[in-house]
Amino acid sequence: MLKLMKYEFRKTMFSKLVLLVVTGLAEILFLTGVFLEWDKGLAIGMVGLLLCTVIGIFYIGLESLIVFHRDLNTKQSYMLFLTPRNSYQVLGSKILENGISIFLAGAFFAVLAAVDVTVAVLYIGGLQEFLDLLKQLSFTWDVEINISRVEILMAFLSSLASWLMMIVTGYLAIVLSATVLAGKRFSGFVSFLLYIALTWVSGMALDRIPSFDNVTLKFWLVIAGAFAVSTVMYAVSGWIMERKLSV
Amino acid sequence: MLECREITKTYGRKTAVDHVSLRFEPGKIYAMLGPNGSGKTTLMKMAVGLVKPNSGSFYYNGEKVGQESRREIAYMSTEPYFYNWMTVKDVGQYYADFFEDFSPEKYAQLIDRMELSMDMKAKTLSSGMMAKLKIAVTMARSAKVYLLDEPLNGIDLLARDEIMASILEATGPEVALVVSSHLVDELERIVDTAVFIKESHLIEVCEVEELRSQWGKSVADRYREIYGHGGESYAEADEI
Amino acid sequence: MEFKAALPIYLQVMMMIKRDIVTGELQLGAKMPSVRDMALQFTINPNTVSRVYRELEREGICFTKRGMGTFVTEEKEKVEQLKEEMAQELVSQFLNGMKQLGISGEEAVRMIKESAEC
Repeated sequence: MLKLMKYEFRKTMFSKLVLLVVTGLAEILFLTGVFLEWDKGLAIGMVGLLLCTVIGIFYIGLESLIVFHRDLNTKQSYMLFLTPRNSYQVLGSKILENGISIFLAGAFFAVLAAVDVTVAVLYIGGLQEFLDLLKQLSFTWDVEINISRVEILMAFLSSLASWLMMIVTGYLAIVLSATVLAGKRFSGFVSFLLYIALTWVSGMALDRIPSFDNVTLKFWLVIAGAFAVSTVMYAVSGWIMERKLSV
Repeated sequence: MLECREITKTYGRKTAVDHVSLRFEPGKIYAMLGPNGSGKTTLMKMAVGLVKPNSGSFYYNGEKVGQESRREIAYMSTEPYFYNWMTVKDVGQYYADFFEDFSPEKYAQLIDRMELSMDMKAKTLSSGMMAKLKIAVTMARSAKVYLLDEPLNGIDLLARDEIMASILEATGPEVALVVSSHLVDELERIVDTAVFIKESHLIEVCEVEELRSQWGKSVADRYREIYGHGGESYAEADEI
Repeated sequence: MEFKAALPIYLQVMMMIKRDIVTGELQLGAKMPSVRDMALQFTINPNTVSRVYRELEREGICFTKRGMGTFVTEEKEKVEQLKEEMAQELVSQFLNGMKQLGISGEEAVRMIKESAEC
């Protein structure tokens, strides 16, 4: 699995490098803006960093689907399907690699944002303002510590679940179109249509979950449902790849 | 060792392989012969599980082919299939990562003999060089079965000898080698058994030296009888 | 080395080895290449080489020493016998050819004598 993941990472390394370079450029603009009090640079830098975060993370997810589509519909598929690995391992390593990449990218951008805010506040507002900010933060933290831990966990799980649903639905759509169309034209477009349809179906299924007049319970049930639906789609994709897909 | 029973594959309305049953034994070299489009490639791809049959199956030592059999069956396709970013060295590393029977030393030696170098980009190789790279990385495995699809396609005469040598080096009492070709002459002297495939059907399996000693025919002669002018087509033979 | 495609390759290789023994190219008691090397040398199937060695052994032209390989016989008489056989073969081929041309045995002998004299 680790070796499969290594190559999944290698396939997407280039665009991740590009993202890193663009982020670096935006960061330079931002810092120059802070230190030289160049408002325009600061503004462009900030917008750039925000865009990098949002588009970057979205693209890492999307690219995983693009790569998978290529892995099934071109001769490069032999690279995966000639190895003594089964389809579940192939799919699993793709999901894991993508999850780890997105998580790391998210963490990277979060840390970067924290550092940037610190630098900006320190430089522009001075040490006193920074200490005030910290005090304010720790104060809120203190008060809400119990709730916020659960909240953080809930936020993390819900983003994990929605990412997983998205990626696995995409994989299933791509597997289905590759199996039926066998690398013909429009397989990308058909995958997209299937993706929409599958999302709609799984959305419908999750909507059926009763609320029991309890928001928290409903939340956990929906999360559990999303994981269950993802697992089923993963298993179905693997099964089709193993038994039916000709590359 | 490796066999298929009543295996059939259709693509839409076209039948690529039609109820073929075959058995490959260790210690022998097989030529899989037939014009382009006769079904050789599809048959080989089913033997490694790249293509799934509509009915029938391939078995390796009694088990259906799949993840496990790929450890011991080395397949070389006609088309190039390496990732665009790969150098010759990366290709070797990939095989080393996934195949326990892959020998990096043997690979380095074959690359050298084929007059390639490790820093060449797979994507920019000429078709002749690509053919050499594919054979080098395949033969650097010590597999139990080798399935080579048209290994001599697009290869100049000098390199042909190198490729023939690397194929012969892989032979052994426990190894089965299957080489497909739509040209017969090159294979004539190295194979034990010729398998003739025509229009998705298996026509004949014959021992080559027997063909020569009993019928005074070369493989090429038999090939012409089966496919060429004057030879009866399969459809006619079927009616008789 | 070129082979005739329609003749069993093992027979062609055997003929070649026999000829080399008779002409002295291959000396008495000489070690033959391993099956693998021989196969690579001529780009032929190793099974074909094995068969060649087996047949040569059966005819007493070669012998195997356990774990050492295959060797050319050390018996001189065997080589003489081989030479005789090969000469006989040539003669009968020649006579056959003459017969097809409608030339009698006696006439053929006369022609040989004539061309051997000049």
